[in-house]
Amino acid sequence: MLDGLAGFASAIAGFLKPLPIFVALVSSLVGFMVGALPGLTATMAIALMTTLTISMPSHLALLVLVCTYVGAIYGGSRSAILLNIPGTPASAASCLDGYALAQQGRAGHAMGIATSGSVLGTWIGMFFLALFTPVLGEMALKFQAYEFFWLAVFGVVISGNLTGNDPLKGWMAGFAGLFIATIGQDGLFAHDRFTFGIFDLSGGISLVPALVGAFGFAEVLTVMQEPVRKAIINAFDSVIPRFRDVAQYWRTVIRSGLIGTGVGIVPGVGEDVAAWSSYAAAKRASKEREKFGKGSVEGLMAAETGDNACVPGAMIPVLALAVPGSAPAAVLMAAMLIHGINPGPLIMVENPTFVYQVVAMMFLASIGILIYGLTLTRPLIWILQFPKLLIMPVVFVLCVVGSYAIAQRMFDVYVMLAFGVIGFILRRLNFPMAPLVLGIVLGDLLEKNLRRGLVLQDGDLTLFFTRPISLVMFLLVAATVLSNVPFIYNGVARAWSGLTGGLRRSG
Amino acid sequence: MQGGGDRTRGPRRHLMQDEKPSARADLFAGLAFLAFAIAIIIGSLMMDRLERLQATIYTAPGLVPALLGLMLAAMSGLLITRAIRGGALVQALPAFRPAQHWRLAVSLVLCLGFALGLVGHGLPFWAAAALFAGLYVLIFQFEDRRRDGTLARGVMFAVAYGLIAGLVNHHLFQDVFLVRLP
Repeated sequence: MLDGLAGFASAIAGFLKPLPIFVALVSSLVGFMVGALPGLTATMAIALMTTLTISMPSHLALLVLVCTYVGAIYGGSRSAILLNIPGTPASAASCLDGYALAQQGRAGHAMGIATSGSVLGTWIGMFFLALFTPVLGEMALKFQAYEFFWLAVFGVVISGNLTGNDPLKGWMAGFAGLFIATIGQDGLFAHDRFTFGIFDLSGGISLVPALVGAFGFAEVLTVMQEPVRKAIINAFDSVIPRFRDVAQYWRTVIRSGLIGTGVGIVPGVGEDVAAWSSYAAAKRASKEREKFGKGSVEGLMAAETGDNACVPGAMIPVLALAVPGSAPAAVLMAAMLIHGINPGPLIMVENPTFVYQVVAMMFLASIGILIYGLTLTRPLIWILQFPKLLIMPVVFVLCVVGSYAIAQRMFDVYVMLAFGVIGFILRRLNFPMAPLVLGIVLGDLLEKNLRRGLVLQDGDLTLFFTRPISLVMFLLVAATVLSNVPFIYNGVARAWSGLTGGLRRSG
Repeated sequence: MQGGGDRTRGPRRHLMQDEKPSARADLFAGLAFLAFAIAIIIGSLMMDRLERLQATIYTAPGLVPALLGLMLAAMSGLLITRAIRGGALVQALPAFRPAQHWRLAVSLVLCLGFALGLVGHGLPFWAAAALFAGLYVLIFQFEDRRRDGTLARGVMFAVAYGLIAGLVNHHLFQDVFLVRLP
């Protein structure tokens, strides 16, 4: 514990120089603005910033990305409160009580709650990021091919199950992503697969252009297909967070922080699920349940604490296992690789200070959102009313520049276009994008470890199911899939209600 | 398979950005995925197994794509079955009204035209970006401007906006972010 604290203090000291502070403040502001604008997501912002910061030193580039991530997740609450439109999917839960408070003339109070919830959520998540990453990393050192294979399958299955509203389509998107990762030369024999003689495809599909397409270009098409209307904003009161709110709902803050962090750790399940889970848990435990959805301070606090706690939570599996906890974290992981940092079980051996640097980056970002939360209220209204028609062509120009910048080749621009069009169509058909992205990231891990496990055991699959951690992961995958089969789901529900009914009667 | 609709009941449902598509749309999606999965399986089976390099069945390059193709085919089959049970075959095809999709079509054409036709073909990046952004704004504002009688002002605004967007992007990325532009 003391080692962690010392590591954190040393990392903070390293960033307390004019340039990193300036970079942190500017990138938190960029994230905040992008997050506040409906239609521009955190994933898109980080993907674009990854490409634009490619020539920066690694610690500054990652500081930019982490601050953009935290700022964007927080910024989404502003349009949720003022417009009833979540700026990012993470803020959808905040619309319920945030907008209701705004309609009562308490939008400033709601923004204050969002600020305090977001900052506290980030701090709770940061604490667990510093605490859990070394432990999980140490545990992961015991992982062999069998466990890594199931980890990849588990990531895709759980992400497909929890993101979007149709698990079957989520899994299909995830497995399509796993397949996309196999395009190009295979890892053992450098044999070209599905390249159709296209030289550039031999290196595979790069993650960042694919993400810029799926989250940037697809978003431009989605926004522009409907007429753009001018935002109408309610009047608001003071935005200064009230200590009383935090003191009154401290249990909700801690519970939501824990839930948010926990959801973040689960591969591929992002901030939106964290916010909804925290909101639902707060509603269940609340003494003021009837106020939820009608302007509940507790509900808004829960949603905002949960989604921001998810950000550091999503970084835990990135750093310890090289498995992203959310779609934006997948981009951050790709950025780390581009900058020569190899996340995974060996990070605490090879680069132990890096984990605390990430915690320090989160802390600086939380200070950034606190400052902007208190000061940028009037300019924010101008930002929210800025016509989307003027933003979208610039976003697309950024998509083109960003895709090209990684390797200076037009091929990546074509990849971005293809993923943009396919991503748009898939979204219209209700296929979620997060499992697809996670599949592309985890495809290599899955393939390498499946083949390695098969070769080591000469085709015998026993160890995939009998080693303790493998068995647990397999059971989790099986339970996740089976819970979506109606007769099993209904049967378990009947058996459970029979059992609890019997217990109640006997009690 | 359960549709997963339970989780979206109540307030979340109206906030979901993506509306649930019809059973017929699911049927087409399932068929497209099935065709894709079959293509993957065929491509994997026809792939060189590299036996001359002592590759075994477990190290053959096509093994994992083939397994993924099989999984995708199975899931596509489930989606097709679910769509048919949901009445995909008895639903009437919705009438296609091009006028409803003009914004999407124009946006797509402009974006593809910029990325495929203007960028990387000798035109300076700032000029390509200015042309794209200006045209984009002009086309989408055209109807409103014409109705309001401010078409000339709209053209001037689009030109100015395009130039600002193109030049700012160009210099910001090339001189501040040190990014090489196409």
